[in-house]
Parts: sequence; C-alpha cells; structure tokens
Amino acid sequence: MPHSGWSSFSFEGIGTQWEISTPDALPAGDQNRLLETVEEYDRTYSRFRADSLVSGLSREPGRVALPEHAASLHSVYAALYRLSQGAVTPLIGSSLERLGYDAGYSLQPSGTAMAPPRWEDALDWSGSSLVAKEPLVLDIGAAGKGQLVDLLGAVLRSAGYSDFLVDGSGDMLHAGGHPITVALEHPYNPRQAIGTIELQNSALCASAANRRNWGDGLHHVLDGTTGQPIQTTVATWTMAGNALVADALATALFMVDPARLEEEFDFAWLRVSSAGAATFSSGFEGRLFS
Amino acid sequence: MTTPLRKSLYVGVAGLSLIGAVAGCAPTAQSPSTQSTPAAENGGQASTSSPSSSAAGGSTSATTSTYKDGTYSADGTYTSPNGQETVGVEITLAGDKVSAVNITTHPSNPNTKKFQGEFASGISAQIVGKDIDELNVSKVAGSSLTSGGFNEAVEQIKSQAK
Repeated sequence: MPHSGWSSFSFEGIGTQWEISTPDALPAGDQNRLLETVEEYDRTYSRFRADSLVSGLSREPGRVALPEHAASLHSVYAALYRLSQGAVTPLIGSSLERLGYDAGYSLQPSGTAMAPPRWEDALDWSGSSLVAKEPLVLDIGAAGKGQLVDLLGAVLRSAGYSDFLVDGSGDMLHAGGHPITVALEHPYNPRQAIGTIELQNSALCASAANRRNWGDGLHHVLDGTTGQPIQTTVATWTMAGNALVADALATALFMVDPARLEEEFDFAWLRVSSAGAATFSSGFEGRLFS
Repeated sequence: MTTPLRKSLYVGVAGLSLIGAVAGCAPTAQSPSTQSTPAAENGGQASTSSPSSSAAGGSTSATTSTYKDGTYSADGTYTSPNGQETVGVEITLAGDKVSAVNITTHPSNPNTKKFQGEFASGISAQIVGKDIDELNVSKVAGSSLTSGGFNEAVEQIKSQAK
C-alpha cells in the first residue's frame, strides 16, 4: 500500500499480480469495471490462451478488428520497430516459442534461435485493423502490460478518482497529489534495491532479463533481428507520461542506444549492464545508492 | 567499487573534455571517454576544487597513498551556445581508488539538459544494493513477481528435476 490508510484492490490478471490503491475502498461496481477491462485485454491479446483474438492468427492468417486503443499500441511499436531496425517487434512470439516460452510454458527449446518474420512481410497493421499475411504469433509483451496499466488508470479517472496508484507487478502509474517512493529492485538480489525514485503523476516501468530465465542464457527479452536473448543488459527502468510508452521503452533500452530513443520520446531511463554498471539519464540522477 | 585511480583521473579529464564537446554542441558525442581535448581549449574552466575529507579513516600520510582520502568536488563552467552552464563532479577517493563518482547537472536550457544528460549518463556507476527492508519505500519496481504462470512452470521443472 503506497500510503497508510489507503485501500488496495488486488487481483491476478494477464498472468501477473495487480494492486490498485486508492484513498478509499473501491465499490464493487468499479472493481468489476477494472476486472472487465483486464479480461477484455487478455481475451484480445494473450498468446497464452487458445481463445484469444490473436491466437487465431497463429492458426490461420486473416484480418482481425482490434479494440480502438490498439491504435496507440501500433504507433509505439511502429516507432520502435523503425528506431531499433527490427529488434523490437510485435512478431517476436515465434522466436519466444522456439526457445520454449510458449503457451504451455514448456520451457524446452525446439531448436536454435530463429528470427521472426519481418513486419513488412507478414503484418499489415493500421490502427485497430490488423491483417496477418501468414500464420504468425503476435506478442505485444514489450508494451501490453503498460497499456493495460494506462487503461485501468483511465477506468479510475472516468469513475471520478483523481488519486490512485495502479501497480501491475512493478509497472505502475501514479496520479494525484501524494507522491510515492519506489525502490528499484536489485537485478541480482530481489531482497535489495539499487536506489529509490519518487513517482508522481507519471508512469514507472521496469524490465529485467535475468529473472524469467529457464536455462543456459535463455530468457524472454529477445533481439528481433536474430531471435536470440540479449545478454549485455540485465535490467532497465523508465519513467514517462504514460505506462504504454514507459513499458515499451524499458524493453527497447535492451536493444537501442538511449540517445536514439530520446530523439522521439520524452522519458527518463536507467540501464544496468550484465556487469553491474548503471547508466542513466538526468531523471535518475542522484537516485542510485553509492 | 574499486576503479583504479588512473581511470578516475581519466574520468575527470574526460568529463572536462566533454564539456568542450558540449560547448561545441556536438550532438554525436556519446562516448565522452574517447574525447581528450583539453577543456581550456574550448573555453571550459574548472573551479572551486574543495577536498572535504569526509571519507572514512583519513590516516593517509603513513601509507604509500598518493592522494588523500576524501570526497572531492568541482564545478566546471563553460559557455555554451545557450549561455553560461555549470556541471558538478564529485569524486570519492579511498586508498588511491575512486569509490564513487557523482555528476550533477545544472542545465538552464532544454538543449543543455539533453547534452548534459548524455554527459552524466556517459559516466557509469557500479550498482550498490541496500536491503529493501531497511528502506522507507512503499513499492518495489523490478521483475521478480513478473509472471505467475512462468514461476509455476519453473517450480514444476525444478521439482521434476529432483
């Protein structure tokens, strides 16, 4: 709970733990609207359930009508695909499955790393309309959780709440006049932090490669040009105006020079190499322990 | 952290040299340590070096240390196309090793903020952990709790492997 006396509404969604904190307890009607938003998102985008909209595209190519908010997801992915020259891609799913990060969590590689198809060859995505030109595994894992954080924030705002914290297991959105202090988890020791950050009316997202790993150098942050796990960066944090952008950039920092990203996005960043060296922008200045 | 002193001085020089790069407004200067232009040539100027020997111990005279332990700070000023700008550099020395480098930027202009941000980020710090239990925080951002399904699968595999 971010502040004493606040109430928290906790639940599981899209395979992770959520906690939504508000000064007063949320009535059942608002809780249900939040849960419906999570369920709708999962039913649309999850590659871990056979009945989701995008799962159909892995069996049969064709056109699907995504929710309206897919337009902002598309524009972030399109920008990062361009800036990363293909390293950040919504088609990374087939590479993840290849290495064992599949719907059944087999965690058994079925072969050596393989790059996914190129966006321009396989995917025609415009706003909320998406056409798969071949069977493909859409994976919006780089930005999806962040967008869901924002969507839950929008549900709260439309219900009249101006003070809240939406926390999707470390990807969070803060609103209101009561800033919170957040610890930045040590990438090699979950009981420790490497610094703290003050969060107010902003989103904070984290990405780490070494936690979700299932064997010899295998983890879920892959380079879209090779299909191979990235070994040079171990953890990243970002702050931006919304969680969609913060989440996507946290992943992009694994593959793209931060200066390139700063040309198009207004955000603060912190990146820790696998050797334990931190580099950061001015937004994280003075926040790391020394 | 135990960076050899030589490197630390190099960092210091690199820092000042990047000031030159900032003064020259070179947006491609991403690797400050490769620049070696003396700051003075670019109108840069370091000032107010103030050793405030606050580090532990302080008994350095009896050893072979070349430098006194302590925390040293200096502000560098330079004239950028956006006017007069300042950056602060703070270095902690212990036994001729640099144990900490801190860069403080004082940008007064958005462009300067961008370039100084690159400067500050160009000098990296080794991460240091503190127990979360001892911190006054209400939230943690990381990824240890990221995926329930994934964690379960790993646990299953571990138990199968026993």
